[in-house]
Amino acid sequence: MLRFLRLAALSGGLFLSASVMAVDIDPSSYGFPLTNPFEATIATTPPDLRAKVPDDADIDQDDYSLTLRPDREFTLPDNFWAVKKLRYRLAKQDHPAPLIFLIAGTGAPYNSTLNEYLKRLYYGAGYNVVQLSSPTSYDFMSAASRFATPGVTKEDAEDLYRVMQAVRAQQNKLQVTEYYLTGYSLGALDAAFVSKLDETRRSFNFKKVLLINPPVNLYTSITNLDKMVQTEVKGITNSTTFYELVLQKLTRYFREKGYIDLNDALLYDFQQSKQHLSNEQMAMLIGTSFRFSAADIAFTSDLINRRGLITPPKTPISEGTSLTPFLKRALQCDFDCYVTEQVIPMWRARTDGGSLLQLVDQVSLYALKDYLSTSKKIAVMHNADDVILGPGDLGFLRKTFGDRLTVYPYGGHCGNMNYRVNSDAMLEFFRG
Amino acid sequence: MAKRLLLIAALLCAGVAHADDAPIVSKAAPVQRVDNPDGFTEPLKSLKFNPGLDAQEFERSSLNALNVYDPLESWNRRVYHFNYRFDEWVFLPVVNGYKYITPSFVRTGVSNFFSNLGDIPNLVNSLLQFKGKRSMETTGRLIINTTLGIAGLWDPATKMGLPKQSEDFGQTLGVWGVGDGAYVMLPGMGPSTLRNFTGDMVDNFVLPEIALTTPQTILVFALRAVETRASLIPQESLLNESLDPYTFVKDVYYQRQLYEVYDGNPPIKEEPEADDYDDDFLENL
Repeated sequence: MLRFLRLAALSGGLFLSASVMAVDIDPSSYGFPLTNPFEATIATTPPDLRAKVPDDADIDQDDYSLTLRPDREFTLPDNFWAVKKLRYRLAKQDHPAPLIFLIAGTGAPYNSTLNEYLKRLYYGAGYNVVQLSSPTSYDFMSAASRFATPGVTKEDAEDLYRVMQAVRAQQNKLQVTEYYLTGYSLGALDAAFVSKLDETRRSFNFKKVLLINPPVNLYTSITNLDKMVQTEVKGITNSTTFYELVLQKLTRYFREKGYIDLNDALLYDFQQSKQHLSNEQMAMLIGTSFRFSAADIAFTSDLINRRGLITPPKTPISEGTSLTPFLKRALQCDFDCYVTEQVIPMWRARTDGGSLLQLVDQVSLYALKDYLSTSKKIAVMHNADDVILGPGDLGFLRKTFGDRLTVYPYGGHCGNMNYRVNSDAMLEFFRG
Repeated sequence: MAKRLLLIAALLCAGVAHADDAPIVSKAAPVQRVDNPDGFTEPLKSLKFNPGLDAQEFERSSLNALNVYDPLESWNRRVYHFNYRFDEWVFLPVVNGYKYITPSFVRTGVSNFFSNLGDIPNLVNSLLQFKGKRSMETTGRLIINTTLGIAGLWDPATKMGLPKQSEDFGQTLGVWGVGDGAYVMLPGMGPSTLRNFTGDMVDNFVLPEIALTTPQTILVFALRAVETRASLIPQESLLNESLDPYTFVKDVYYQRQLYEVYDGNPPIKEEPEADDYDDDFLENL
């Protein structure tokens, strides 16, 4: 009996020594009002509780474009006129200042809502800010990516690194004191790999790197997201599709309210009304949005590499060609389908074989475990109820990052980034 | 991105009002938190999934939404590209210049002034659609705003409980039973349908002649275009987030149109209760 107790104490002690170090934010003092992770993911922080950030009118910013793959000008169909050059956005301080790179999440362009928010936050704190598209966004894939098959994180990081170097070359008049890096969601995973790459290439010598809600096991994350369109949604019938259902609910809500009101608080009001969405419906909405990203990725990757899975090779595509038939096909491909049909075959051909498990190990945070556990400049902010995590993922982060991990009790996936407590913590990390 | 769907619906029409400051109490069922030693709460555990994880609801919804009558697509896509460049190189600089030189209270005044002029076609169309109550209310608005609001520079009528109710000639034609016609992208103007294009011509160039001369009509049209474009800037980023913005714009346009023709009351298919559904299902077996 005594031996059992001692064993228990020992194992408890071992467990604690590994896990007690992470900073766990107490739910009662945290004050984030949305305890429902699906609501938090969709609506993000209520406007009153967001951090105060400067208005667009007070920011000296511009969009620039880079020609990184001049060949694509000729090989891409005319329909891609908008994305033959890679655009990015730079917000400049008028004095020498540090520069921070922001990497967007899955499928998101440089000017996604969250990237814009981070720009305002860091610009307001005195940084030059460069906003970059995710390597999974169609503009990055067509204008900057060598293989245009995102998902192999190391390759994506190399593409990103090249973009960052090109940005610096183009902005050679900008006075930069030091470099920082951050990203959210998939962009956080990318940031970790970019930081690793920087240790050998030494172009930027990033002083600090912050990962916000990164996927730990990329395969777990895409499986979760694919699964979310499979929730059992009440109200879908033979004659009513899911979209019609959501639109009907909104219409009824507006009718009961008597007027239409397009402000930031719309979603909270809506969720407090009789017409609110159920958890399953919200999950389906989140899943839907990610399925659109998956479709965009599958379509673009297939087209650029002429794989013929979605767009038949040699189909003449001019500026006026309808993309609808191809989009219809792409919409039927989820992340798993994209990985199986496009990523794995390319990765096998380039690296001489390997199983799905090996791929997952290489493209997830596991691949950087040693680097991340010793590199004191990298920190992670994550949420206990993030929908892209699986069991054991937080445990991995706790072991690897120790006290450089902060776990927030609520927020879903990236829903608390604009909460003032989180925003303060982000600024504090780079300041300290 | 996750908000795209909700925003499409919200974009149906615009208006500004303020929400009450109330504590946020969601009506959705609370999400069960699982206790894991590492703190992870497994949010997906709380959801009910389809047993086989093989429902095709996403595919059904999306493919259904993509079916829009668009025989002029080839022309439309080219014009969309032209408009995109025109907007970037000509229209936006003009709009930004206008915003830069005009203080915001002047812009509100200008905007109200046009809104008041716009009530003339609203009134005519309400009459043509035989909507008695609406016609009375719009007449009231016109009188109040033109007198108390000093030629329409202020909008006291809305505060007095007479909100603006848009009716255009396109809708009138719709009420008279004229079909939509094909979806067209108009150079320099944006999406429309053949019916609504005809309607816009009548609203913008024929009906204002009741009160204005032809050059004034054209000036008003141009200034109103600049005002409208300026008001759309906050919604622009939505376009950047879709691979095929052309299709996205088309979707939004049709949703909005459906909403307007029915004055915000599109016919709603009633959801059968869960039990009815099972009964139907059993009967069909």
